[in-house]
Amino acid sequence: MDDDAVFLGTIADLFAAWSNDKWHIRQAISADQALDLLRKEKMDVIVVDANMPVLDGIQFLKILTRRHPELKKVMLTGLATEEKRSACLANGAELFIEKPRSSDGLKAVFAMLDELMTWKPREGFQGMLRKVGLQDVIQMECLGRNSCVLEISNQQLSGRLYIEEGNLVHAMLGNLTGEKALQKLLSIAGGSFQLLPFEQPAQRTISGPWEFLLMEAARVRDESAQTADAGTDAAAGAAPDAADATHVTVAETLVSSETGDVLYAWQCPDAGVRLAWLQTVARAAADLASETPLGTFDRLEIDAGFGRAIAQARTDRLIFVRVTHRPESS
Amino acid sequence: MNEALQQWIDARMSRPGTLGGGMRGPDGASICQSADESFSREKVQRLLEQLAKFQPQLFEGLPSPRWSTWRFEQGKIRCVVRPDGWLLGLVVRLESEAEQQLDTTSDAFLALDLNDPLAQVGPQPANDPNPQ
Repeated sequence: MDDDAVFLGTIADLFAAWSNDKWHIRQAISADQALDLLRKEKMDVIVVDANMPVLDGIQFLKILTRRHPELKKVMLTGLATEEKRSACLANGAELFIEKPRSSDGLKAVFAMLDELMTWKPREGFQGMLRKVGLQDVIQMECLGRNSCVLEISNQQLSGRLYIEEGNLVHAMLGNLTGEKALQKLLSIAGGSFQLLPFEQPAQRTISGPWEFLLMEAARVRDESAQTADAGTDAAAGAAPDAADATHVTVAETLVSSETGDVLYAWQCPDAGVRLAWLQTVARAAADLASETPLGTFDRLEIDAGFGRAIAQARTDRLIFVRVTHRPESS
Repeated sequence: MNEALQQWIDARMSRPGTLGGGMRGPDGASICQSADESFSREKVQRLLEQLAKFQPQLFEGLPSPRWSTWRFEQGKIRCVVRPDGWLLGLVVRLESEAEQQLDTTSDAFLALDLNDPLAQVGPQPANDPNPQ
């Protein structure tokens, strides 16, 4: 991709010839054109001019990394600086090359691209669930607005979680899909996981803020464990069936930083009021923690006729989620 | 009256995993009980006062809760407030029998006849068979 159509045409012809027509080269003179081509056709490598008009090369690189994490990206620049190089490599570029000014230079670039084409990065990363919590991995991917597939398995089970641009979009485990599959996956105590490049799921079974989904899964897991432990005596208790979780509707969500900046608000009638409330909860929790031998505060859960509200006060953020057992309008 | 309420509280303190708990009336009078040496009666008393203090700050603008649960690393504080102003505060360890019975105990407190609490204390505190 380069806004200089003549330069593009020249190197496309040369590279096609040098590769004995093994390379199939597509040309784009704008980011729009490039994204359109990528939507229509799977590509192995994209070479981008770092000094494009309208959309800066680094910004474009960020978009490419988010939308096409599997695509190898090469940045080409007329004037290479260390600062630009660091920025490109930090934002997902595999290579940062100065625009060649001679035939030899072009051949060197061709050789590098040819080498890059055959290079296969080690896919994703993997870990043991006992050492790294699955919830932490999901949080990390969602907060980073990443796209990936998490494959989780132990001796009995194997499932997948799909995260697209920081949103949980699908979960599957055996015959289970959606939130039930997510809850089951999060309850796996041992086993291993592998983070794979994102691929489109066959279906989308999960929606809603990931903070709520994780908290709700944690709640269901806790309550299911209690129900199992309590045995038949639980019939006298009020622990709801795990399946109830599928009927809840998220009515309101707010996430703020520790300094009180609202990072995310969804359907909050008044984000300022909610934020003040969360700060009151955090102060109250600190007071209660100082009076009781229970350790660090995790969350406040409020059960009411309307459903449930959850407030979490962590060191780096405050989270409020309100759910109803039926749609708000009813 | 106070003796009967004390018995009701004492009955709930015997569950494994209970650290302490108590009730606080709308007039500010309270009945407290410690069930673990790490959590003294005085601390239970202070906890009840704090829970009562937080009620108007926390629940103004939200529909009346059935109960609220403060979850910590190692335990939970359950706070239940009745429409007549009586407040129940319980402190339990996580993954204990007391934690499993929190909802049952909370329902029992909401259904408690404060004119005749002994009628619901009964001889069988461990599993709260009466309140549902």
